[in-house]
Amino acid sequence: MDEMTRLSARVLELERLLREREENDSFRLVFNSAPYGMVVSDESGRIVMVNPRAEEMFGYSAGEFKRRRIEDLVPPALRSGHAGQRHHFHRAPSIRSMGAGRDLYACRRDGTEFPVEIALTPLPGENGMLVLSSIIDISRRKLGEEELVRYSKRLERSNAELESFASVASHDLQEPLRKIRMMGERLGAIAGESLDEQARDYLGRMIRAGDSMHRLIRDLLAFSRVTMRTEGFTPVDLSATARDALSALELLVEETGAIIVVDDLPEVEVDEAQMRQLFQNLIGNALKFRRAGVVPRVEVTGRVEDRAGDLVAIVEVKDNGIGFDERYSERIFLVFQRLHGKTEFEGTGIGLAICKKIVEHHDGRIHARSTPGEGAQFVVEVPVRRKPDSPAAPHSA
Amino acid sequence: MMADDDPDDREFVREAFEKSGFKGEFRCVEDGGALVEYLEKAQALGPMSRFRIPDLILLDLNMPRVDGYEALRQIKSSERLRHIPVVVLSTSDSESDIQQTYDGGVNSFITKPAGFEELVEMAGSLKAYWLELVKLPTGPAT
Repeated sequence: MDEMTRLSARVLELERLLREREENDSFRLVFNSAPYGMVVSDESGRIVMVNPRAEEMFGYSAGEFKRRRIEDLVPPALRSGHAGQRHHFHRAPSIRSMGAGRDLYACRRDGTEFPVEIALTPLPGENGMLVLSSIIDISRRKLGEEELVRYSKRLERSNAELESFASVASHDLQEPLRKIRMMGERLGAIAGESLDEQARDYLGRMIRAGDSMHRLIRDLLAFSRVTMRTEGFTPVDLSATARDALSALELLVEETGAIIVVDDLPEVEVDEAQMRQLFQNLIGNALKFRRAGVVPRVEVTGRVEDRAGDLVAIVEVKDNGIGFDERYSERIFLVFQRLHGKTEFEGTGIGLAICKKIVEHHDGRIHARSTPGEGAQFVVEVPVRRKPDSPAAPHSA
Repeated sequence: MMADDDPDDREFVREAFEKSGFKGEFRCVEDGGALVEYLEKAQALGPMSRFRIPDLILLDLNMPRVDGYEALRQIKSSERLRHIPVVVLSTSDSESDIQQTYDGGVNSFITKPAGFEELVEMAGSLKAYWLELVKLPTGPAT
């Protein structure tokens, strides 16, 4: 071997050492600054290296760690089983995450346990296989999850209570009200002749107030029942549903001489009865708020939009009626909100509130646009397919 | 004959029947228990007793002790009573109540009208249909 060859071999060797040292340094850098606890152990379970985050997590100093075995970090009840699992890993080492769906716990120096996620990485070394355990403390996340579950259960309960309250209250409120109206009518029939004009007027107003309260309660009941009565979600051709809704409005359409155009609407997974009600309310609304002297025209159109992979059906109901001031475009969807005097248009102001409830029950949204004096446009957006995690939502029939 | 725990309703309905031209006897009881007890007695004692089998039963649903559902069940499961027409007259208009009572064999379901005039109309219709128009068996098949 000549001088040159020896020299170049020496250079190569130096380069290799340098590279190894650099790799080692960058490994150390990552190791020490990692946001999770990292513990390196050998085949016998002895801990050979830890990072600062692991010291913090478990409450041992780096020196104390080195006198421990990996089993000391496992809850006492699971220690004996762990050694076997360790041998198993060393026989077929591969990168893997532990737990596989089970909740994993680690044990601190003071004996307290905390939930963790662990990934195992084999590290081939000069003296056999080492294992790097990367440990994430998920106590906070777990707390958050539990809190979320508790919260959603509480919400579900209070929603159910509210609905049954509304339904019971409306029903029981109707009882005494019916009596008041009935007694009023009887009084009017029996004593009407002997009452003076003012007394008859008072009596008539009392009965009308009773009638109006009866309608309010009836509509509140209808509102509270919207989501209590669900027949489940099935793929439905909305054009057919809209036509069904129209046949229920036949009389009104005839009376007003309205022209109603229903385009091809998409097929969407919905509660059909609720959707029929939605169309009926929206089209009925359009006819109710028609302009005097103008033939009412209602167009129902639909399309499907792809929004980042989620298909959304968009249905629009457009009319040429009196419209409304867009300042009120949120308010019109609230229960018993009316934009017009009771003598101009009848009704309690429940229709659009029911629409909103139905659309929200379908995980969708509804909004309205309008130019006063020219017409209004209601836009309904609902997902074409139900998400599998969406609650089926039947509380009770 | 009417079973209803609400005295006002009993009075209204009685008046409405009178106004509609009904001339017969209008009996009232306060709950389903009293109704079934009366019917059993009437059936046992026969037509000559003061307990007469009614031509029509108006049945409220929500009553104390024996409610309308239970009274209906007892009437329709009794061979001797099931031929008597039963009309539910309730404040309820819930689909489940309607379904349940028809499943139980009720002959008609009516939601109590809100006004007296409507109540008189209802009484007139019931009288014309159940007491005048339809033919009913006079008792259990022998």
